[in-house]
Amino acid sequence: MYRLGAQQIARASCAQARNYATLREIETRLKSIKNIEKITKTMKIVASTRLGKAEKAMTSSRVYHESDIDFFKTAETAAPEGSEKTLIIAITSDKGLCGSIHSQMGKKVKAAVSEYPTADIVSIGDKTKNQVLRSNSDKLVLSFSGVGKETPSFNEASLIVDEITKLGDYDKIIVLYNKFVSSVSFEPSAASIFSKESIDASSKLSVFDIEDDDTTGVLAKVALTNAVFAGMAEGYASEISARRNAMDNASKNAGDMINKYSILYNRTRQAVITNELVDIITGASSLD
Amino acid sequence: MFRQSFRAITKVNRLAGVRTYAEAANSLKLSLAMPHDTIFNKKEVTQVNVPAVSGDMGILANHVPIVEQLNPGVVEILEGTNSSKFFISGGFVSVLPDSSIAITTVEAFPLDAFEASTVKTLLTEAKKNAASSDEKVAAEASIEVEVLEALTTALH
Repeated sequence: MYRLGAQQIARASCAQARNYATLREIETRLKSIKNIEKITKTMKIVASTRLGKAEKAMTSSRVYHESDIDFFKTAETAAPEGSEKTLIIAITSDKGLCGSIHSQMGKKVKAAVSEYPTADIVSIGDKTKNQVLRSNSDKLVLSFSGVGKETPSFNEASLIVDEITKLGDYDKIIVLYNKFVSSVSFEPSAASIFSKESIDASSKLSVFDIEDDDTTGVLAKVALTNAVFAGMAEGYASEISARRNAMDNASKNAGDMINKYSILYNRTRQAVITNELVDIITGASSLD
Repeated sequence: MFRQSFRAITKVNRLAGVRTYAEAANSLKLSLAMPHDTIFNKKEVTQVNVPAVSGDMGILANHVPIVEQLNPGVVEILEGTNSSKFFISGGFVSVLPDSSIAITTVEAFPLDAFEASTVKTLLTEAKKNAASSDEKVAAEASIEVEVLEALTTALH
């Protein structure tokens, strides 16, 4: 028991000694945490203001994309059995500091690759590109960066799809994106887009009265553009809301740390003063 | 008083019931969507006229399911006796078996938002550019001419 007590005393005095020595250190750390809090708070406000616009873009893109989904569902379009040529398009963005949104997309891509081992990958946004390069660098055929800074526009999506169509024909195209579920959650999701041949071979296509043979071909292209656009809009909204939450948490944590360090700083300062007083009084009393 | 309000409620209920039944049989559910905005989302309307590639067509409820490409032109929406007109830049129309109709287009504006004189000046310029030796400029201008000519006929 005595030994234990001695140990504790030793530890306490050691901690105290460290505290005295680091008064300035605590001060600088406190300052830097305060700065970080300012930054995260600002980023949170920026994300909050963008969120409204992003959500609006996402809602309208959903309505826009819905007609394609309904059509494929009604026509019961499916990729031909044993199709070899699959393309995976993974949509995220270039910027981090938004929680697990990019790494979850990376996991989704890996899962998709294990399902379609021969698939090629196109990445939209640097964050997925880096993850794909690490795990499946041989499969990456095309990548885009610089997207997701502003609310995605249809023009952007069209330009991207223009480049993607230059890669050649694929039987099945899978668009991976982060689906916006609510302002606190998102879900990595997949949308399937089919080629003209697959649409023409749909089991229930006869339900529809299609006059022009070209229609399905154009539809296949437009559906891809729409899916990429909808994916970008959803991904952007999820990212912004994830960033808002991440920055909110960061600000809260910084606030906690500031509280802790302020108390520590004040205690240490008082201890230093007390110690100096003790020194002075001891010195003065020894003169008597 | 209680009885009266109760009766009022039953009346409302009955009316509401009749209305949904009637609408399910006689009206279309229209979605008119652009990538950046939605004009109508599953709105119940009587008739929709669209400028399809294969010719202009009027679509009523219980229309045979179709998928058609649209030319630049006027989409006319009839709700009862009210009619509203939108000029669209081309796109797709799809009618599903459940009488829902979806029109997707990149741009759409109400027809009265256009000014005839501006259209005219733009058209002359586009026609001039269409004869350009630069292939890209000529192709862009010929699309412009197509849209503007459709717009001119729509405005007259």
